[in-house]
Amino acid sequence: MNFKLVYASLSITLKEFYRSKASMFFVLLFPIILMLLFGLIFQDQGETVYDLHVRDLDGGVNSQNITEMLGNTEIFNIVEVGDEVGDIEDAKDYLTEHKLNAMLVIPEGYSDGFDAIMIDRFLGIPTNDTVDVVMIYDPANTAAMTKISILNSILDGVNKAATGMPDVLVLEMETTVSDDFDYIDFFAPGIIAMSVMTTALFGTVTINTELRQKGILRKLATTPLSRSEWLLANILYQLCMAILSTISIILIGVGLFDLNPHLNLFLPLFVILNVFAFSGIGMLITRFVKEAESAHAAANAIMFPMMFLSGTFFPLEGMPDFLQTFAKVLPLYYVNEGLRAAMITLDEGTLMTSTVVLIILAIVIFILGVLLTSWKHD
Amino acid sequence: MPETIIQVRDLVKQYDDNTAVNSISFDVNEGEVFAFLGPNGAGKTTTVEIIETIRTATSGDIQILGMDVNKNRTEILKRIGVMPQDFSSFDRLTVWETVQYYARLFGSDVDIDGLLKLVNLQEERDKHYVTLSGGLKQRVGIAVALVNDPEIVFLDEPTTGLDPRARRDVWEVVKDLKKRGKTIFLTTHYMEEAEVLADDVAIISKGDIIAHGSVDGLIDQFCSTIHVAIKGAGPGVKEIADEMSLVSESLGNGNVQIEADNNEQVVEILNSLKNKNIGYGSVDIRKANLEEVFLKLTGESLIDKGDPK
Repeated sequence: MNFKLVYASLSITLKEFYRSKASMFFVLLFPIILMLLFGLIFQDQGETVYDLHVRDLDGGVNSQNITEMLGNTEIFNIVEVGDEVGDIEDAKDYLTEHKLNAMLVIPEGYSDGFDAIMIDRFLGIPTNDTVDVVMIYDPANTAAMTKISILNSILDGVNKAATGMPDVLVLEMETTVSDDFDYIDFFAPGIIAMSVMTTALFGTVTINTELRQKGILRKLATTPLSRSEWLLANILYQLCMAILSTISIILIGVGLFDLNPHLNLFLPLFVILNVFAFSGIGMLITRFVKEAESAHAAANAIMFPMMFLSGTFFPLEGMPDFLQTFAKVLPLYYVNEGLRAAMITLDEGTLMTSTVVLIILAIVIFILGVLLTSWKHD
Repeated sequence: MPETIIQVRDLVKQYDDNTAVNSISFDVNEGEVFAFLGPNGAGKTTTVEIIETIRTATSGDIQILGMDVNKNRTEILKRIGVMPQDFSSFDRLTVWETVQYYARLFGSDVDIDGLLKLVNLQEERDKHYVTLSGGLKQRVGIAVALVNDPEIVFLDEPTTGLDPRARRDVWEVVKDLKKRGKTIFLTTHYMEEAEVLADDVAIISKGDIIAHGSVDGLIDQFCSTIHVAIKGAGPGVKEIADEMSLVSESLGNGNVQIEADNNEQVVEILNSLKNKNIGYGSVDIRKANLEEVFLKLTGESLIDKGDPK
């Protein structure tokens, strides 16, 4: 391995990149757009407030109390519906008409019924009487389901309080990370992992198929530059691209979305391993798939399952078991996990697992790249 | 006796279902321009790439600079210069940077500006490769092939797709290289290129070398016909040909072309013109060219098949 030749090859590819406005634009813009997009989508995650339309047909003290209480949870923004809804059927029409997904109707007599039960309780008279509130909802709407389950848990609390029995089991909720972290902090490592993968994989495939088609690879084959020197120069070039996009993602995140990552040596380590693994895979693709279009199709075939199945966009927990198992053989899974651990959770076990898996993978792929790719053609 | 610098014996290149090169043998001597002439798909590039060590032969013994192509790849590459077919380079590097890059790959401290002067590219020194015309690009290719001061320069179809002017410019560069003592291995499908440049021509068709020799030697051997075109002549010309039992062809406008077999017959035709007092505008005497040799040998035209896409 002659590093002068690697350096010479790296510097000309960088020069070409610097002089091409288009490629600069894409390397920097793609991750920035993703970051902006997902940053905006998930900006308010965790502080979500749901609108809850309430029709109080009762108008008594108790019905006002419960409405007020639901409002005080800060989960619901109570929208009171007026006289145009006179009964349950009206409420249904109202929902359809106003394209709402749910409405809570408090029937007439609620306050009296509630009082009666409380008095019985107070006097120690056993009773199985209940008072009802009615939730009218659109069953096809997930937000309505969410509202119902929140409402259920609130009412559950009210019921317990009303029985005067103290809770035996109390669930306290706390996130696994300190309170300083928002959803964007979980998302940013995934975006970094994915952008670096895409850049490395497609960058390598594009450069090499283009150079092959233009006959430049054939010319390089007649020089003392070895295939492994060229491979390494390519990987280092992709690493420069990866550093650019990682920095731009972090800057956008910190500047616009209060991203608050831990910065330590594991971040560059995982970025480097990501680049090695996927540039190597790109090199192998161009070795076996000669035409530019098929090579890109092959790269896509590798990229898309990784993007969706290794926990970049969706948490793995929601997936069927076999997909979860499958995710664990995908290299990007370990990059995702590793980067999240490095930037957010600092979980040592995950850091170690990801480091070991990715180092082995990068070495194997680099060796395969050197062994299987040759300047010579048949 | 000149030194043999490339020696090819029984070279065969077999692909799955076709034979690209069918057991060919030839020698290239030091200091000469050797032209491999044949239509596209004849096996020229396959052969030349095997000699350049970037393709592997199915069988055969190939020695270059006294070394076996299968064993001394690294050493051979250091001593040869290659301009591959359809040479192209990095779009957004300048001419100077391109040559510099290849010089660095060879660890060569060649005078880059001197090299650019040799191929007449001084003015394009700082232009990006992508902005150059076809002829200038090809000259960059030649400059790049020279960065390691090679003993043998391989030029694979160096003028394909160029206009006549640019082609002539490239020829000048090749002639200059020959003067500097380089051995040049040229592949081409332009017979004119071979006629102008080559000391030695091997004609290849469908994987076989069908003729090999100097340009004049090949013409004398295979197509010694001398075309005598008599322009603006009267009706008597055709009779001269008939009397001598030579083939004649009317070219219209009173122009007649007679196919003479040798110089004596040419003199006889001219004498007859004078003796019979046949008036004429002009006489054009032309030897056969390689195109006609090729046509005669294969029954196919070199140009039709060989034109660039």
